[in-house]
Amino acid sequence: MKYFPLVWTALSRKPAHAILTLSSVTIAFMLVGLMIGLNTSFERITELVRADRIFVDPRFGGALPLAMARQIAGHDGVARIAAIGVVGGYYQDQKNNVFVIFGDTGRQRTRPEWPVTPQQWKLVRDNRAGVLMSRLQAERRHKKAGDTFVVRAPAFDKADGTRFWAFKILAVTGDAPAWTDGYIEGNFDYYDKSRPPAEQGNASYFELLAANSSRAPAVAHAIERSYANSPTPVLSFTEKEGFAGGTAGGLDVATITREISLAGLVMILFLTANSIAQSVRERFTEFATLKTIGFTDRLVTWLVFLEAAAPSVAGAALGVALAAGLAAQVPRICPPGWGLPAPAMAPAVYIAAAAGAVRLVGTLK
Amino acid sequence: MTLLRQIAIVCVLNFRNLPARFWQSLVIVAGMACVVGVLLAMLSLNEGMHRAYLLTGDPGRAIVVSAAADSESISTITRAVAPIIESAPGVAKDVHNRPIADRGILVSIPGYRKSDHSMRSIFLRGFGPEGSALRPDFKIVAGRMFRSGSRELIAGTGAEGQFAGLEVGDRVIMPDGEWPVVGAFTSGRDILEGEIIGDTDTLMTATRHPSYNSIIVRLTSPSAFDAFKRALTANPALSVTVERQTDWYRKISADFSTFFAEVAYAVGIILACGALFGCLNTMYAAVSARGREIATLRALGYGAFPVAVSVMLEAVLLSVTGALIGAAIAWVLYDGQQDSLGINVFYLSISPGLVELGIVWAIVVAVAGGLLPSIRAARRPVAEALRAT
Repeated sequence: MKYFPLVWTALSRKPAHAILTLSSVTIAFMLVGLMIGLNTSFERITELVRADRIFVDPRFGGALPLAMARQIAGHDGVARIAAIGVVGGYYQDQKNNVFVIFGDTGRQRTRPEWPVTPQQWKLVRDNRAGVLMSRLQAERRHKKAGDTFVVRAPAFDKADGTRFWAFKILAVTGDAPAWTDGYIEGNFDYYDKSRPPAEQGNASYFELLAANSSRAPAVAHAIERSYANSPTPVLSFTEKEGFAGGTAGGLDVATITREISLAGLVMILFLTANSIAQSVRERFTEFATLKTIGFTDRLVTWLVFLEAAAPSVAGAALGVALAAGLAAQVPRICPPGWGLPAPAMAPAVYIAAAAGAVRLVGTLK
Repeated sequence: MTLLRQIAIVCVLNFRNLPARFWQSLVIVAGMACVVGVLLAMLSLNEGMHRAYLLTGDPGRAIVVSAAADSESISTITRAVAPIIESAPGVAKDVHNRPIADRGILVSIPGYRKSDHSMRSIFLRGFGPEGSALRPDFKIVAGRMFRSGSRELIAGTGAEGQFAGLEVGDRVIMPDGEWPVVGAFTSGRDILEGEIIGDTDTLMTATRHPSYNSIIVRLTSPSAFDAFKRALTANPALSVTVERQTDWYRKISADFSTFFAEVAYAVGIILACGALFGCLNTMYAAVSARGREIATLRALGYGAFPVAVSVMLEAVLLSVTGALIGAAIAWVLYDGQQDSLGINVFYLSISPGLVELGIVWAIVVAVAGGLLPSIRAARRPVAEALRAT
């Protein structure tokens, strides 16, 4: 500790140099932090999605007759089922994609982990043209409870001949962690009765909860097989299977984030190594003086090492702190429909930052 | 003239003693290589997808979809109106005097990506009798073409490469049983190559599609488009959107890729800031290391401006070298690799345009990072610099 003033003087002799080094280390670690955080978020979502939730989709597009719900509910291993209608379109601008999911009365039981209160579920059951909007969606569209919300859905005809779907926002509800783009939840009966008569009595898909999550894939398979030769072949899979292979539309998040982090680290490695080499070169006489007055070789090496470590460690800490601040902003600046999760500033980031700083310092020594 | 000569002389002198500052200079080179490498590698995805879409469009073809439809999948063109569209003015005719028009459908069927076994969708497109006549790039490269009216499919080489179970001889689960894959095709690395294709009418029966999704026509010439569009939009019996195919795909690809590009630029900017600080540091060090040399030049009568310019040029040279190395690494690793994003199959592309972008970034960073050091170099009093050790 008593050598701290020596290190400090060495750094403060060229403040511009020290600040510039610190800044680049900070920025690189901010990037590394964001990348590791992003990767951790995706991993966490993959863990969060339920292994016992099964989706039954029409295999070749179109819809599934509601009568199938009763048959599927009778399948061995199926505990709960909900019929779902979906209307996709846009809000105000074509770029503003919107999906409204209409669940029937079973939806409350197939989404037990959602932060929606029984009163809120009751609201959407009792108010047919109403929706629950999650906080993320409400913030993005600047909506609050009581507002109306009109979706233009070119592919979803209504019985009245229009393609405008108007809703009243009943409540703004909490976001579900694995549902990174938020949700808008409507009333299935309203959806069904709003469709043209020929298309009523159909669901866009069914979602179920299996009684036993370890058997869920087998249950999903059995359902798929039992409709294989029917007029409505289905595609049935667990939520976990659906999420396998990453979420961002097939982008390999792990590889991308790893490569970007690597590039950032390589950059600061060169930078810091050079900055310390330079400071040593410029101060040969000074080190000689130190040795003359009794400093050992080891001690001088340590001093140089500490001098290099200071901006690296400080930069790592600052960078991770900045990344944590930025991470909170990510969902807000993302365009609708993308659903990028906020990089979780998990312990992994802090450990990586510390490890990065230590490794960096190690190479310098 | 003397000014230019002075600049040239100072720069040459400067570049000659670059090897003496090899390791410091490497900071700028490595930093910029990282910035440009990452930026281009990320943008290659976007560029590749754009390219595939743009290759699919042909200014001599027009696509007709239902009014306000922004994708083929959500469009419906009934059998009744198809002949009206095909007989509109501006549609080219074949040797039998039949319009070169393709009534198509586009559905998606589930598939599994080979690389990570994740569940995906694959586009299944219907070709009418004129489907291949309409598309000169379309070529069967293995097996044979499907027979019209048969329950057979052909797979694009992109689809075959990315998704499991699409090789010639494989069977694909369809609503009415399994259909064999009888051939493989290429179509100039466009978006079609990532799709599988069957006979429109047979597919419509199998997938219970009562109407077409789109009609694509060959125009007598690219300039015939306006007349064709006018004829269709003026017809009260039709409610359709008519677009030149190039515009259609340009719009779709623009919608698709903006966000990932923004992420790439954001990451690039963050990295570039890091590189900028590194550049500032190195150039300040270079200027102070060369203090006496610069002062000697000034004492000999060289102006402040040539000195400043030489510092700037050094930064630019190092930075651009780094950018080229980064671009080369990205090119070796990624250019031409087949990849898929969602339903689209395409080839990653480090195009000349992207390399140019990388060089522009490098110059901007170098100018920003070299400006202050060059001013310092130019303004340092000669006497003081000469005295300094």
